Amino acid sequence: MNYSAAVFASIGLLLLLAIAWLAFSESRRSTKVIRNGRGEREGLHISHLPQIKQALANVDFMYLRERGHTALANRIRKERRRIALGYLACLRVEFERLLHFARMIAAMSPHVAVAQEAQGLRLNLEFSYRYYLIYFRLVSGIAPLEAIGNLSDMVSALTVRMQTAMSELGEQAVLGAELLPHNGSGLDAGG
Amino acid sequence: MQLALSGILITFRHFRRLPFFTAYICLNVAQGLFLFAIFQYYGTSSHTAMLAGWWSEAITLLARLFATAEILHLVLIPYRGIWGLAWRVIAVTSMAMFIFVVAASRGNAGLALMHAERGYNLIFATALISCLALIRYYSIRVENVYKALLVGFCFYSCVKILLSTVLYDFLYRPHSQFASLWQILSVVPYLLVLLFWSAALAHPLPEKREQQSVLPSSVYQLISPEINLQLLAINKRLMNFFKIEEEPQQ
Repeated sequence: MNYSAAVFASIGLLLLLAIAWLAFSESRRSTKVIRNGRGEREGLHISHLPQIKQALANVDFMYLRERGHTALANRIRKERRRIALGYLACLRVEFERLLHFARMIAAMSPHVAVAQEAQGLRLNLEFSYRYYLIYFRLVSGIAPLEAIGNLSDMVSALTVRMQTAMSELGEQAVLGAELLPHNGSGLDAGG
Repeated sequence: MQLALSGILITFRHFRRLPFFTAYICLNVAQGLFLFAIFQYYGTSSHTAMLAGWWSEAITLLARLFATAEILHLVLIPYRGIWGLAWRVIAVTSMAMFIFVVAASRGNAGLALMHAERGYNLIFATALISCLALIRYYSIRVENVYKALLVGFCFYSCVKILLSTVLYDFLYRPHSQFASLWQILSVVPYLLVLLFWSAALAHPLPEKREQQSVLPSSVYQLISPEINLQLLAINKRLMNFFKIEEEPQQ
């Protein structure tokens, strides 16, 4: 079998697998993410940020080491790692929520910009890559403790920004939907 | 089996909603009858029979394209923006695959028709899968009946790609019964697809969904860039995750 035939056969097989996956796998994004709205968003990790931030503080760890409680320090380090991983998972949830929101807006819009959607897809891929990179670094213990400690600032700032942005965007979307029946342009608004 | 499916399409009045799909099935029936008559009159190995075979195949392939577009339109018509995006994705994917097919099939003039059919199936399957992936990406609900039709088209195309590639390269020279083997192996998957379609279509079609584009374009234009900026900010943060000294405190 020549090279060209091997390539065609491989592509054919891949396409067959792809269609099987698309046909039999459930839709990965449940609409409940957005449907539950504000109530669910308020119940996120944001309300526990001060406690988590305190738990991640490097000072505690240094203090224990200076006092000779190495075992305890190690245990705390493990705990911190677990918290960092939990934070990462929360960040992922936030990211996916925002992405889902963007997709929902796109699906409800009469016109969709290719560049915007392509950028969203690219950012999603980038995020997944970085997320797993950091995840494995944290799991394997390669990540410096300072970076783990710094995570709290990063997540808190981002979460607050995202919560604010999502609220604003949600309100704008609702406002747009409410205004639509009155503007007379119906579903063809904007084209 | 094709006649049974045609009967289902007529009995349940699916032809009203799926005129191109009905035409595709009817054309397949007509192709079978036409080729049977041609082969009886001219013989199976004559030049006329070969021409008739390929031309009739080209017509049914074209009909398949319209039938698929019709189903995709039914699925995506409530989502005008995504429908517009899907067309662009299909166009780009088809163009890319066309270039690949032309480049990969060069220098085989004797097998041009076979390669053309394989290329068509490859372009068709890739474009359709891209479109289905897009539908999944946007979490768009696809009614089971339409899903069955699209999956059936795609499955058959993939099988044809594999048959025309693997079967030809492996079995053409060693086996003299290549033609019969080819017929059997290409008819069996098609029969399975027809069975699958018949089972899916033996019910009334779901109600036509209303347009989902309830937001004016301005909302999308306002929100989408903002969300992307937010996503970009998260990514940048992640990128600088381990660069503590460069990370500005907020």
